[in-house]
Amino acid sequence: MILVLVLLVVLALVAWIVYAAGPKFALKRLGGAVLVLVLVTFGVSAMLSFTSGEESTRQALEDLGVSRNAQPCVTALGTGASVENVNQCVDDRNLDDNVVVQYAKWAKQIVVDRDLGLAFYKNGEKLSDTMEQRLPRTAWLFLYSQLTALLLAIPLGIWSAYQAGRGSGRLPKWVLPAGVGVLLLIGIFGGFRLTSLFALIIAAAAVYSIFAGGRLADNNTNFLAFALLSIPVFVLGETLRYAFAIERDIYQLTGYQPWSAGAGEHIKSIWLPALVLGLAATPVYLRLLRADMIQNLQQDFVSVAKAKGMSNTHILLRHVLRPSTVTLITVLGLNIAQLVNGAIVVEFIYDLDGMGSYLIAAFARREFFAVQTIVALVAALFIFTNTLIDVLYTAVDPRVKADDDR
Amino acid sequence: MTNVAQEIAVESQHAAEAQAADPESKGAKKRNTLFAVAVGWLVLVFSVVLLGWIFGDSLPFLRDPDGINQDALNAGPSWKYPFGNASFGEDVFSQVVEGGRVSLRIATVVTALGIVIGGAMGLFAGYYRGLVDSLVRLVINVMLSIPALLLVIFIVTIRDQSEITVIFALTLLAIPALARIVRASTLQVADREFVKAAEVLGVKRSKILLREVTPNVMPTLISFAFLTTGIIIVVEGTLSFLGLSVEPPTITWGKIIAEGRIKFADTPHMVAMPGLIIFLTVLSLNFVGDQLLKRFDIREASL
Repeated sequence: MILVLVLLVVLALVAWIVYAAGPKFALKRLGGAVLVLVLVTFGVSAMLSFTSGEESTRQALEDLGVSRNAQPCVTALGTGASVENVNQCVDDRNLDDNVVVQYAKWAKQIVVDRDLGLAFYKNGEKLSDTMEQRLPRTAWLFLYSQLTALLLAIPLGIWSAYQAGRGSGRLPKWVLPAGVGVLLLIGIFGGFRLTSLFALIIAAAAVYSIFAGGRLADNNTNFLAFALLSIPVFVLGETLRYAFAIERDIYQLTGYQPWSAGAGEHIKSIWLPALVLGLAATPVYLRLLRADMIQNLQQDFVSVAKAKGMSNTHILLRHVLRPSTVTLITVLGLNIAQLVNGAIVVEFIYDLDGMGSYLIAAFARREFFAVQTIVALVAALFIFTNTLIDVLYTAVDPRVKADDDR
Repeated sequence: MTNVAQEIAVESQHAAEAQAADPESKGAKKRNTLFAVAVGWLVLVFSVVLLGWIFGDSLPFLRDPDGINQDALNAGPSWKYPFGNASFGEDVFSQVVEGGRVSLRIATVVTALGIVIGGAMGLFAGYYRGLVDSLVRLVINVMLSIPALLLVIFIVTIRDQSEITVIFALTLLAIPALARIVRASTLQVADREFVKAAEVLGVKRSKILLREVTPNVMPTLISFAFLTTGIIIVVEGTLSFLGLSVEPPTITWGKIIAEGRIKFADTPHMVAMPGLIIFLTVLSLNFVGDQLLKRFDIREASL
C-alpha cells in the first residue's frame, strides 16, 4: 500500500520533471540516476557474494552436509540450527547462485513482487513491518534535526554575512577578556563544573560578538561554526547525553513516544537526539550560506537596490537570500548521506529504536538480504533526491543546463 | 562521504573570502598565530604517539595501558594520572597514547592511498576527458551515493575486523572524494594559458599532464589531504565507537570512549579526554587544510 503510494508520487514527480526540464535533458539525468542506482545495488550484491567466509569454514560446512556458502545462514539462525533449516535458508536466499543470478532474483523480489523480505530471518519478522514501526522515528529525527539546523543556520548566516562588510565595534577591546575573567572567577568560587564553565565562556564570546558586530563578530561566528564542524557526532552526542541525561535529569532516556501519546511527550522523547543531529548539520549550512551571501552582496544589483533607497532588511532577505536558497537546497540534498551516518550514531547513543539501530542489529546478525535492501533504499533516496534537486536547479536557473559538461 | 557538502562549503567559502579578504588586516596576523598553534598541536600529538610507539612504557610519562591499579578505580584526572583512570585503574593517558597509534596510522595510510589513487583518477579524468572522464565520474557518483558510515560498516561486517579491512573500507571513501576535488582542480588548470601553449607547441599530452598540470594541482590536493585525514580520523573513531573497528585488545580512541560511556556517571573523563583529543586534532587538521587552501590560492593575482 505504502509502496504503491510512493510509486505514484515518484511517477508524478518524473512526469513533472520531464515537463519542466524538457524530455531530452530529463532523460539524460534520470537515465544516469537509474544507471548509478543499478550499479550501486549490484556492487552491494557482488560484495555480499564474496562473504562466504574462509576456505576452512566452507569446507567444514560442506562436511556438515550443508552448502558451502551457508555461512550467513548459520550466523542468522544460530549454531543450534538443524541442517534442514540451514538448507531451507540457503534456498530462500539464493546463496548457491552466482552473483548475477542472485542480483536478478533480489531485484525481481523487490521491484516485481514488491516484497522487501524478512527483517530477521530467525523470527520471520517482515522487513516492511519493521520499517513501518521504526521508520517514523528516524523520519521525525531527520525532520526535527533539519529544522533545528536551518533555524540556527539561516539567521546566523545572514547576520554573519551582513556583519562581514561592516566596521566593528563600539565596544572597547578589554570587555571580552574582562568578561571571561569575571566568569572564570565566578566559576572557580561558585563551584561550577568545567563543562558549564566552558559553555559560559562560549556564551560570553557570543554575546560580545553580537554587541560588537562587524568583521570581528563575523570571524567569531565563523570560527565557532568551524569548531562545531570538527566535533565528531559521537563525541557531541555523548557529551550532551552526559550533560542532559546523566548529570542532570533534563532529558529522559525512556525511549520514543509517538505523536499519538501527545505532542509534549513526543517532543520530550526526541529533542536531544534531534538537537545533536541538528548541531552537526548547522555549521555546514551556516558556512555555505554565509560565503554565498557575501558573494551575492558584492554584486551590482545590491548597489542598485541600495541606491534606490531600499532598506537593508529588504535587500538582504529578498535580493540576497533568494539566490542563495538554491545553493542551500542543493547542500540539503547532499547532506542526506551525512544525516544517515549521523542517525546510525545518534540512535545508538540514545537507544532510539529507529532504522539506524536496526541496521546495526542486522549487521551484527548478518542479515545481509535485509541490509542489501536497506542500503539500496538509502542509495535510492539519496540519488533520487539529488537528481530531483539537480533538475529543479535547471528549471530555476537555465545556465546550469548550458554548463552541463563541467 | 558527504563531506562533499563540507567540501563545497569550504571551497565556496574560500572563494568568497579571497575576494573579501584584506591581507594586511589584523585578522591575517591572528590567523597566522592560530596556524602555528594548529601545526604545533599536530606535531605534538603525532610525536607523542610516535614516541610511545617506539619506546613503549619505558618513557617516564607512560605506563602500561592495561596495568591494573587497585588504588585508583574510576578515579578522575589527577597530577599523576592527567586523564584519570579507567574501571580497573588503568591509566587513560597511556591508553590515549596507544590508541592514537592505530587511529593515526589508519588515517595516514588511508589518506596516502586516497591521494595516490584518487589523485590519479582525478588527473586523468580532468585532463583527458572523454571516455575516461565519464567512467571516473560514474565511479565517483556510484561510490558517493552510499552514505560513508553505512558503506564502511557494510564492508567491515562482510569481511573481518582486521586493520587491513578497515583501511580498505576507508580508502574506498577517500578515493571518490579526492578524485572529485582533483578533477575539478585539473579542469581549471587545463584551461590555463600555459597548458594551451604547451599543447600548441606540440608537447606530448602525457608530459603536459606530468610536468604542467600535476604540479599545479598538487597544492589543492595537499590541502584536501589534511581535511581528508581529519574526516578519516572521525569515521574511524565512529567505527570503533560502535565496536566495529579493529578487534580488541587493540586500543583505539573510539574504543576508549565506548568503554567510558558504559559507566558514564563514574568515568566521564574517559569520554571527555579522548573526545577532546580527537576534537583538537581534527580541528587542527581542518584549520591547517583550510588555511593552506587559502594560501595556495593563486587566482592570477600577480598578473
